[in-house]
Amino acid sequence: MIDRNEGFVRMRTLQLIVLLIFTMLIGRVAYIQFFNADYKRGAARNVMRVDVQYPPRGEIFDRRGEYLAQSRECYDLMVVYRDMDKEGFDTMRLCQILDMQPRRLKQRLNDARLYPRAPQRVANYVSKEEKLRLDAEGFRGFYTVSRTVRHYPLHVGGNLLGHLSEVSQSYLDRHPEYSKGDYAGIGGLESAYEVELRGKKGVKIMERDPRGAIKGSYMDGLYDSLPESGRYLTSTIDARLQRLGEELMAGKVGAAVAIEPSTGEILMMVSSPTFDPEELVGRERGNNYIRHLNNKRNPMFNRAVKGKYPPGSTFKLVQGLIGLQEGVLKPSDLHPCHGGYKIGRGVACHAHASPADLRFAIATSCNAYFCYVFRDILENPKYGSIKKGYEVWYDYVKSFGFGRQLESDFLDENRGYVPTREFYDRVYRNSWNSLTVLSLSIGQGELGCTPLQMANLAAIIANRGYYYIPHIVKAVEGADSLDRRFYEKQYTKVDPKHFEPIVEGMWQGVNVGGTSTQARLEGYDVCGKTGTAQNPRGKDHSTFLSFAPKDNPKIAISVYVENGGFGASAALPIASLLEELYLTDTIRRPELLKRIKDMKIYYPAYDK
Amino acid sequence: MTSNRTGSLFSGVDRWTVLFYALIVLVGWFSIAAATYDETVPHVFSFAHFYMKQVVWIAVAAVVAITVLLIDDRYYHMWAYPAYIIGLLLLLSTLAIGKEINGAKAWISFGSFNVQPVEFAKIATALAMARLMSEYTFSISRLGDLVKVAMLLAVPLLIIVLQNDTGSGLVLGSFLFVLYREGLNKWLCLPFLMLASLFIASFLLSPLALLLLLIGLYTFSEVMMSGEVRSRIIFVASLLLGAMVLMVLTGLLFDEGLSFYASLLIVSLTAAVGLAIYALRFKIAHTFITLALYIGSVFFLLSVEQVFNALEPHQQNRILSFMGIVNDPAGADYNVNQSKIAIGSGGLFGKGFLQGTQIKYGFVPERHTDFIFCTVGEEWGFLGTFTILTLFACLILRLMKMGERQEEPFGRIYCYCVASILLFHVLVNVGMTIGLMPVMGIPLPFMSYGGSSLIAFTILLFIAIRLDASTRHFGLNKI
Repeated sequence: MIDRNEGFVRMRTLQLIVLLIFTMLIGRVAYIQFFNADYKRGAARNVMRVDVQYPPRGEIFDRRGEYLAQSRECYDLMVVYRDMDKEGFDTMRLCQILDMQPRRLKQRLNDARLYPRAPQRVANYVSKEEKLRLDAEGFRGFYTVSRTVRHYPLHVGGNLLGHLSEVSQSYLDRHPEYSKGDYAGIGGLESAYEVELRGKKGVKIMERDPRGAIKGSYMDGLYDSLPESGRYLTSTIDARLQRLGEELMAGKVGAAVAIEPSTGEILMMVSSPTFDPEELVGRERGNNYIRHLNNKRNPMFNRAVKGKYPPGSTFKLVQGLIGLQEGVLKPSDLHPCHGGYKIGRGVACHAHASPADLRFAIATSCNAYFCYVFRDILENPKYGSIKKGYEVWYDYVKSFGFGRQLESDFLDENRGYVPTREFYDRVYRNSWNSLTVLSLSIGQGELGCTPLQMANLAAIIANRGYYYIPHIVKAVEGADSLDRRFYEKQYTKVDPKHFEPIVEGMWQGVNVGGTSTQARLEGYDVCGKTGTAQNPRGKDHSTFLSFAPKDNPKIAISVYVENGGFGASAALPIASLLEELYLTDTIRRPELLKRIKDMKIYYPAYDK
Repeated sequence: MTSNRTGSLFSGVDRWTVLFYALIVLVGWFSIAAATYDETVPHVFSFAHFYMKQVVWIAVAAVVAITVLLIDDRYYHMWAYPAYIIGLLLLLSTLAIGKEINGAKAWISFGSFNVQPVEFAKIATALAMARLMSEYTFSISRLGDLVKVAMLLAVPLLIIVLQNDTGSGLVLGSFLFVLYREGLNKWLCLPFLMLASLFIASFLLSPLALLLLLIGLYTFSEVMMSGEVRSRIIFVASLLLGAMVLMVLTGLLFDEGLSFYASLLIVSLTAAVGLAIYALRFKIAHTFITLALYIGSVFFLLSVEQVFNALEPHQQNRILSFMGIVNDPAGADYNVNQSKIAIGSGGLFGKGFLQGTQIKYGFVPERHTDFIFCTVGEEWGFLGTFTILTLFACLILRLMKMGERQEEPFGRIYCYCVASILLFHVLVNVGMTIGLMPVMGIPLPFMSYGGSSLIAFTILLFIAIRLDASTRHFGLNKI
């Protein structure tokens, strides 16, 4: 027995212990109930099934209102693993409805088992008919989610439009606003205007019990939201022109781009070979994708903005313009040419009358003439040295949009290549002169341009000195205008007054006598310049740069056919037929049309 | 001998205790209703509802309470030992005719009504404890008497453990609370507390961390007692260095060297033996005591590992789950996790009566019995949990106060017994729902659904109220 005092102390101690224990319990409860939000999230995860409602993706029209890309109804089949019938179900029946291999279904279900509470997709591109049959069967744990898929009624513009693909993990890491199972545009218009096209997802939150049975709408739909459709786009593309372009380019590798000079709108953009965008939709998508990927001609590579080619003789136009601006060339200047330029390693030329003035040199595409011009630019005593002169020339070339991105709405534009002075300093260890880089004068050598840049050059000349940044979208639903940059005139460093003799030369080349006479269209004053670019991979590349009519040009076009031979043999007729269709709405040269459509070029470099 | 209580049945009854009791029962009833409300049963007052069955049990409990108050208090003293014997027999009978529920063979079945004898054995043991310790000749500081107390507790504990109902058995451990109040040497309490905390810590921390902690504790207490800092730090540093050297050496000598943990264990124990010899020779008592505690702790920890490995997998899982080591939402941890989610989702004010989704849809297991606290948490929020915990705290403190004002040790001891049983139940039951305690499957007093538990706790509490209500002296052995 202890005394009263000791007993009192011990009672106090025990009271303290009781209070401490309850303080601890209350403290922990308080932590769980309002300092740690994890548990609230856990409760939500338990009880809520979030059904995502996918918006239809914005549709794409051509400039005349024809559908380039439509959105069509389809479904995804989802499963929540732990809600599935534990006794098993008729898997064969499911496979039969979906036309799916049982092995594949088993694999999908195994994947779903890893996240038993999360909805996992079992199949996509489920048609309405299949959905109804699935609903009738009522497989437990399975349900369908409404999606849309692309449909391309005209089957044109594979690379131009891009395609849709389920987002990958790396895409998710870069774009946290997406979630697994979403689609996003890859390449072309679909990726450039992804934000406008995708719309906004909606959600419908359902309450469920631990067995997954739906108990009703969560909080009476307080947090539900409706999907917002993506905005539709009106493209600058002329679908007729695009289709004809693809037909004409069939069997050839290369690209053709047409621009409306007065706006910078891209009327047509063909990269050949191309693919039918419809092939990348639906259950066959995977197979087709692999097939295109394995095709050595690389149909999914958009040559029009990503291909890099030597511009060849078309570059003489730039050369002449720089000479005129620099004052080292007058339109009346005569230079002799007897089979080529004979100084240094020299440059060969075809037989034509000599001497030639500027207009004639352009019309007949004289190589020697532009060697003189180029050397005069570089060796201008004003600049003291050739290297300084080269830097001046370089800045001019850049101002024409070469060697840099044009900042069109294509996200993956190639810069092309214009060698810098430092490049030559490095390669030739500082000892080089205008003869060393002479091949630049006729658009050869290290120069690389994209077909889009070349078409833009055609537009610059058509406009006599400026261009609008080429773009592919005319209007976005709900937006008053496009990005400001598409409305600003971009001037080159060459004064507009110097363009007239060049245009004159191009006109003569088609309408009087020269390399481009085949491109003549009665009454439309076509101007053009052929190019024949040597390349190490085989036959010369054939290219043609043109615009029409001479005054108030409606279309500027550049066609580039790899290994097509002379500019006049492949590229010119293609460009001419396209101009004919665009300007006259009809084609009056059926034999030419047939011959070009059937023309197939042999590509040993690709088809090895 | 007659009771000196005069007047009505309720004179002398502690109103506060009855009020707390009634409020807890009421909140419990609402919680059961919320947890089990079934919309598919057509009539609100149908006895198919658990809450309507509970109404019946509450009524029975009220009758029982009144009966307990009617019985003259000396009978409780008189019947303490017979009740204890009957309790033991009941417990034993479950081993033979018991019904197994949730892995424990702890129930006796009367038709559809199951009784858990351990609930009643608790009352009997409390009475017997009070009787034994209030004997005039009893002295808590005498070893023989302590052994008697230990026997009194050990026999029912053994039977309960045999029933595979260890959770309920541990309730008897809470009587340490009573023993302390009655003057048990605090140095005897300390080892028990240390054992309990070491046991819990052994699951929370890795062996190495635990060993380092023990060395730290040892050094700290040495510093506190001797007042010398530098030499102790050098001592710890040389321990660590020695362990590293041993690890590297064994690594060089043999293909498989000792781990750092093993090296440290060996070095520290060797050092401890050396220090012990030193302390013996120079008669440094405090070093000797701390060393003994250190070595004892180390061996206890090593044996915990052994014991743990001998446990059944589901028991291991439960313990591990409690320690937060197994984190498999669908496995052992699932229940505790769901329970925390339900309570946590209640927030400050809760979701409102019958609005709790976690409870209603059945995410929480045993939601109307062992996990009834979740319903309070989800539907009434922190407001509800705070209120109910406060009510329990008040009830327990009130019982202690009642105990203190008893003139007889019997009454005081019994009141403390009731307080400690309630404290243990609340701590373990609420603790398990919020992840502070392992899941042991013991009910929340007065709240969990079930007649057996409600009636047993009512008897337990009302005997204390009855004893308190009387001012009569009855200690026959003490005049």
